[in-house]
Amino acid sequence: MKTINFFKKYSLVALLLSGCFFTSCDKDDDVPEPENELEVITDVKLVFTNTADDTDVVEATAQDPDGPGVEDLVIKDAINLGTGKTYALSFEIMNNLEEPGEDIGEEIKEENDEHQFFFGFSTDAFSDPSGNGNIDTASDDINYNDTDDNGNPVGLSTTWTTSASTLSNGEFRVVLKHQPDVKTSTSTVNDGDTDFDLKFVLNIQ
Amino acid sequence: MNKILFLFLFFITSLGLIAQEKKECSYELKGVVLDAETREALPFVMVSIKGTKQFTLTNNEGEFQLDGLCEASNCLVITCTGYCNTTCDATCQLHHKEEKKHDSVIYLKPDVVALDAVTITEKDPNVEGTVTVAQSKIDNETLKLKPTQTLANAISEMAGVTFTAAGNNVQLPVIHGLYGNRVLVLNNGLKHGFQNWGSDHAPEIDIASANNITVIKGASGVRYGPEALGGAIIVEGSSLNFNQPLNAMIGTGYHTNGRGYFANTGISQGFRNFSYHIGGGYTRFGDRHAPDYSLTNTGKEEKAFNAGVKYKYNAFDFKLYYSFVDQNLALLRSSIAESGDSFVRAINSDRPLIIKPFSYDINEPNQETQHHLTKAEINWWYSDEERIVFRVGRQLNQRNEYDVRRNSYKPIIDLDLTTSDYQLEWYHKNWLQLNGIMGLQVFTQDNNNNPGTDTTPFIPNYNTLRFSGFVTERFTKDKNTFEVGVRMDYENNNVRGRDISQNVFRDDYSFLNLTTSLGLVRQLSENATFRTNFGTAWRTPNMEELFSFGQHGFKYTYGMLRYYMNENGDLKTDKVTPLSESGVRPEKGYKWINEWKIKQKTNDFTLTAYTHYIENYVYERPLGVLGTVRGPMPGFIFDQSNSLFIGADFTWQKKWSTALNGRLGLSYLWSKNVERDEPLINQPPIRTTYNLKWSIKPFWFLESAYLSLEPSYTFHQFQAPRTIDPQDLIDGEVEITPESEIFDFKAAPSGYFLLDVSFGFKVKQLTANISVENTLNATYRNYLNQMRYFADEMGRNFLFSLNYNFNAK
Repeated sequence: MKTINFFKKYSLVALLLSGCFFTSCDKDDDVPEPENELEVITDVKLVFTNTADDTDVVEATAQDPDGPGVEDLVIKDAINLGTGKTYALSFEIMNNLEEPGEDIGEEIKEENDEHQFFFGFSTDAFSDPSGNGNIDTASDDINYNDTDDNGNPVGLSTTWTTSASTLSNGEFRVVLKHQPDVKTSTSTVNDGDTDFDLKFVLNIQ
Repeated sequence: MNKILFLFLFFITSLGLIAQEKKECSYELKGVVLDAETREALPFVMVSIKGTKQFTLTNNEGEFQLDGLCEASNCLVITCTGYCNTTCDATCQLHHKEEKKHDSVIYLKPDVVALDAVTITEKDPNVEGTVTVAQSKIDNETLKLKPTQTLANAISEMAGVTFTAAGNNVQLPVIHGLYGNRVLVLNNGLKHGFQNWGSDHAPEIDIASANNITVIKGASGVRYGPEALGGAIIVEGSSLNFNQPLNAMIGTGYHTNGRGYFANTGISQGFRNFSYHIGGGYTRFGDRHAPDYSLTNTGKEEKAFNAGVKYKYNAFDFKLYYSFVDQNLALLRSSIAESGDSFVRAINSDRPLIIKPFSYDINEPNQETQHHLTKAEINWWYSDEERIVFRVGRQLNQRNEYDVRRNSYKPIIDLDLTTSDYQLEWYHKNWLQLNGIMGLQVFTQDNNNNPGTDTTPFIPNYNTLRFSGFVTERFTKDKNTFEVGVRMDYENNNVRGRDISQNVFRDDYSFLNLTTSLGLVRQLSENATFRTNFGTAWRTPNMEELFSFGQHGFKYTYGMLRYYMNENGDLKTDKVTPLSESGVRPEKGYKWINEWKIKQKTNDFTLTAYTHYIENYVYERPLGVLGTVRGPMPGFIFDQSNSLFIGADFTWQKKWSTALNGRLGLSYLWSKNVERDEPLINQPPIRTTYNLKWSIKPFWFLESAYLSLEPSYTFHQFQAPRTIDPQDLIDGEVEITPESEIFDFKAAPSGYFLLDVSFGFKVKQLTANISVENTLNATYRNYLNQMRYFADEMGRNFLFSLNYNFNAK
């Protein structure tokens, strides 16, 4: 028993010492580094500018204010265009969870050979492009105004001429695909990953 | 049959050595032959006196007696007649005579004996400190048959044990309905320090390196600490026996499903006071396939290495152990939604949405982990059965997970977890008539996020510090053995994370908790034993349960401190609630487990019945479908409620003839969230198996062979929550709040019948095995596999394995 007590006594001290040693080693206070959050898009604004009158601007916004939080996406506006007019469509794509907000559109521009916008809409809502867009059939007509370094369409800027007839409660869907090493002149909405996929109500009157 | 067991003939106890003063040849010698690892008695071992013709056999209790000896000091030769052809060396100089005293003891120690092909009569080699808790063990030779399977799969043969999975590569053990960090995995004496949150992280353990695996089915928190609430799995490496000739093993094999191949090797040798073991292995799998299609991106690659040394100096032995596992595990590609509405399409589709031709490539989503474990241990055998152990361990777990996303070449999760253990344990015998263990433990964990993931950390940085002390004591009176245990833990957690706006949040919380265990083993009759144990245990909710936020795998998940209800009853996730201000409480479990074992001539019955009440049981449940810019995504939250688990396992072993053995297993679990009066999700369904094994006599050139058939039936989980179609949630036809009754996105799969067939034989040092898993190529889905939302389980698989064992003389 004597030896046990001896051993116990000293090993306890050793244990405590080593415990302190280790804890002092491990007890740090490091905080995860801030990350440049590339995944999150909180605001997507579609900006239709009348090519004949740049004061005639139609905007529609989709917003998921808490990004990966539990709150649902809200489509805040319908797209209300005039009949028989030609518009240039551009985007404002933001992550506003960061302070200041981060312009994801800039990033897409930089990585334009990895991105493409696809569009779908109520059939014949537009006289140019006609049809229902290139989501169902990628080769269908869309008036892309920009190309990437490989000469393939991007879609940060597109041109739309509305039809002469009115439309109410139609649909305008826009999908941004991220296609690293996948994007070609024939890649479709089913290739790569979806950055966003939004459906707006389209009215033409 | 290659049944090479290294039995460690640790000591031979002479219960009485009566040295009489009279003439010669009147000495008698009594002793017991025990397996030193399991302390099981070894029957039918021949014990003879060197230089004489005197010999005897041990009886069923391993006892022997030699009368009419002419010398007071004798040299024993132990031959394991009936079991092996090896003559075991007895070391003469260690056998010494104690003078006259009647109950004096003779120890032969430590002699190592290699016994061949031992069929051990099943005693109860229960783990010290948990002798009153029901447990089962798998030995090395069973593990060797399928060295590529996961730890969880290997032990799922046992009644009451199954596994939960995220595909073929990630499988976690489930004991009586509990898993994750309610089941502690003890890897060579240390709690396996890995990212054990979440059901998609499996312990990085190469079972080819394990000598045996024991599963403790009751709350064993007193012995092993807070996370052993649901049980413990004890994985032991090579036993590093002394006095053991050089042994080298090489094994290799091929799987048809996944075109998997593997090779492993191990070398061990023991000298008089030094021994070593070195082992390693490599495994590679490509895409597995279900009966009707390829399971794209389900391959894996694994490298493993382990080495240990043991050195004896007087009463001290020193052990060093190191193991390394490197894994790259693919997760089913079609589990990740590719476009907005594809989660709904994937769930409603009979086939995965992405099916590509077979490939060995591992693409996103996948997990890369490296686990290093080092351990140093000193045993001081201050008497022959009593020792003080000091154990130091350090583990480093590095985990990178990749997801299908922008910048998929960057890990979405990049964590380094460092775990340190300090354990001091005193194993005593007959101390105040008590046998038991007392211990002090210090445990620390340091988790760090590595920068560069381009996403907000899913799990924060944290430091855990725990001080523990425990006592577990056992005393035997007549036919009863009582075991009582108490443990005290103090745990502090310091947490630093970032929210979605990259603002820092912090939390710091501590718990002081008491764990107790009370048990009894009663020898009801010569053939019947009864065990009962009541154990409490507690557990701090883990980091994922508290702090997870956002996308992980195919879903969005919110930890308990990341969501709250505002005054309007709306669910919000815009702030992190400090634990002290939240309603989150540690989990506390109360488990009462009983086991009846009856052994008859040709029948063995084991019935285990348990009831387990868990206060503040933490579980993950579907919350709904969240609208995101990418489209609807399934959302889950963690929640806690008082829950009740009641179940039973039954096994019946029957020797139909000398060559034909049958084993029936049946597991049943009923569980309920009693606080909310609703079912629990992801609970194991009823399962029954029958194993029929025919040991074939030597024929042709085969020295021994066996054929086994194992049909099993897993029932439909009839206690599953109601089902709500995700489309109904998107359309707003069903409104779900955290107060709503629990639901699931897909109904529990129907029951299924599987048949496994296995044939093995042995020729000299070569063992070969051919198994067929899912022989009937049944199409089925496993309720406990997350991938059941997306794809069928693996189809038929032929598995060939070869093992060659070289033993130097």
